[in-house]
Amino acid sequence: MSVTLRFEGKEISAEAGQPLAVALFVAGERVLSRSVKYHRPRGMFCLTGHCGACLMRVDGRPNQKACQVPCVDGLVAERQNAFPSAAFDVLGITDFVFARGLDHNTMFTSPQILHSVVQKVVRHLAGLGTLPDEASRYGTPEVRHLDAIVVGAGPAGLAAATALGRAGRRTLVVDEQLRPGGSYFAEPSDGAAQAARAVTTAEDAGVELWSRATALGWYPEDTAPGRAPGVLVVGRPDRLAILTADRYIYATGGYDQNLLFGDNDRPGVLPARAAGRLLSRDVLVGERPILVGQGAYVEALANALTERGAKVERVDGHEKRLVAARGRSWLAGSWVAGAELNVAGQRQRVSGDAVLVWCEPTPASELPRQHGAAVELRPEAGGFVALADEHGRAAPSVWVCGDVTGYLGPASAALAGKRVGEAAA
Amino acid sequence: MKILVCRCEDVTLEEITHVLDRGFVSVEECKRLTGLGTGPCQGKECMLACALLCHAAGGGAHPITPFTARPPLSPTPLGALATALTTSLTTEDDE
Repeated sequence: MSVTLRFEGKEISAEAGQPLAVALFVAGERVLSRSVKYHRPRGMFCLTGHCGACLMRVDGRPNQKACQVPCVDGLVAERQNAFPSAAFDVLGITDFVFARGLDHNTMFTSPQILHSVVQKVVRHLAGLGTLPDEASRYGTPEVRHLDAIVVGAGPAGLAAATALGRAGRRTLVVDEQLRPGGSYFAEPSDGAAQAARAVTTAEDAGVELWSRATALGWYPEDTAPGRAPGVLVVGRPDRLAILTADRYIYATGGYDQNLLFGDNDRPGVLPARAAGRLLSRDVLVGERPILVGQGAYVEALANALTERGAKVERVDGHEKRLVAARGRSWLAGSWVAGAELNVAGQRQRVSGDAVLVWCEPTPASELPRQHGAAVELRPEAGGFVALADEHGRAAPSVWVCGDVTGYLGPASAALAGKRVGEAAA
Repeated sequence: MKILVCRCEDVTLEEITHVLDRGFVSVEECKRLTGLGTGPCQGKECMLACALLCHAAGGGAHPITPFTARPPLSPTPLGALATALTTSLTTEDDE
């Protein structure tokens, strides 16, 4: 079904339920916000609600993640943090004035009078968004106890929940995305179909699934009536849920990362998996994407993009290295137009309409860590992995599975989830 | 041309390198001196890059730990959190 959005005076048609950031991308609106300090343009990036690059004002409410807002008829979206507009922001001049960086700890600290004037100006320019048009109303929190709570409806979480459900445990899966399936949706060929199968299997096992339900944290100092200390607080669009369980299974997956290269924050630089997520919504990231990195995922993505008619420029990261993203002026806030490469010591320029970077997603281990799991830096596994025994047990009543234990990819993560779910049941 | 480590707070590689050159070796120190990880993403995009830079600068001599990720893990309206006061939860402070 098609719906109509209002975006800064324009009417844009979109598919109902499509993420706002994707609808704007399809409509050719590429700059979604401006950065807080240098007013550099920001576009969509991770498409999973983790990065903070697509915050927009939606229906009078500031700082909404455009990749997590479903399109509905009459939705009003505006860009924030820029004057006169995010597409052309004169405050972008700060980027050139402070080309060597701007250290707010030591800047203009004397004389006192100048300091106070500068602080006033800076406070007016900085900050994210402006106050909402009206106060939001939230319902009374739902307080509930379950046999098992699974955080994350990706390959590992759904498989663990299925095992728990089949063992007769009352199991709830909370997932922050618009639809359950997690990293299945990044699979370039048939991600959406794989997600649908895993969701159906979990539901057939009697599992309850919540989407748009973000696990906000483990609060050890709070106690629900008649329960052991500690509550898991989950944020939903209209109210909180305060949950307790006999078993907590964290299948929180991983966050997509960027690489360090010149102008790596330019709109159009995306994690490779974001291009996969766009394909799962039948959207092609570009006609001439530059794909950086090696490995199974990169091969699969290159094939899928080529099948869709894109001409993919491969950059392996060794013989051919990415030096910088190129594009038009920052003030105008343009999308990438190409990249500068180092090819066996020689500088080479290539043109392209997206720069897709692959690196292992970094484990989303904060939540299990809050709940007692130990973490350790393992660069080869993608970052700070949650540690567990061979059954996935990380702490009393706490299990971890999937990419949060180090990057596995969907197929291996699903196997790990099944094994851990059976152990926890 | 800038290389951004933390896009939320516009922290550049040059700033992190400067902190490490001054002899600081931890993610926590980089955060306190530059503001890295204190924006809307709360370090989801930048903390690993910073940790790897610290790891390389320290030559592996210091174990690298992440900075403490306190709840809420995702930006949450205060009005939503305030509704928890209407429930029958007890907290350590009450006792």
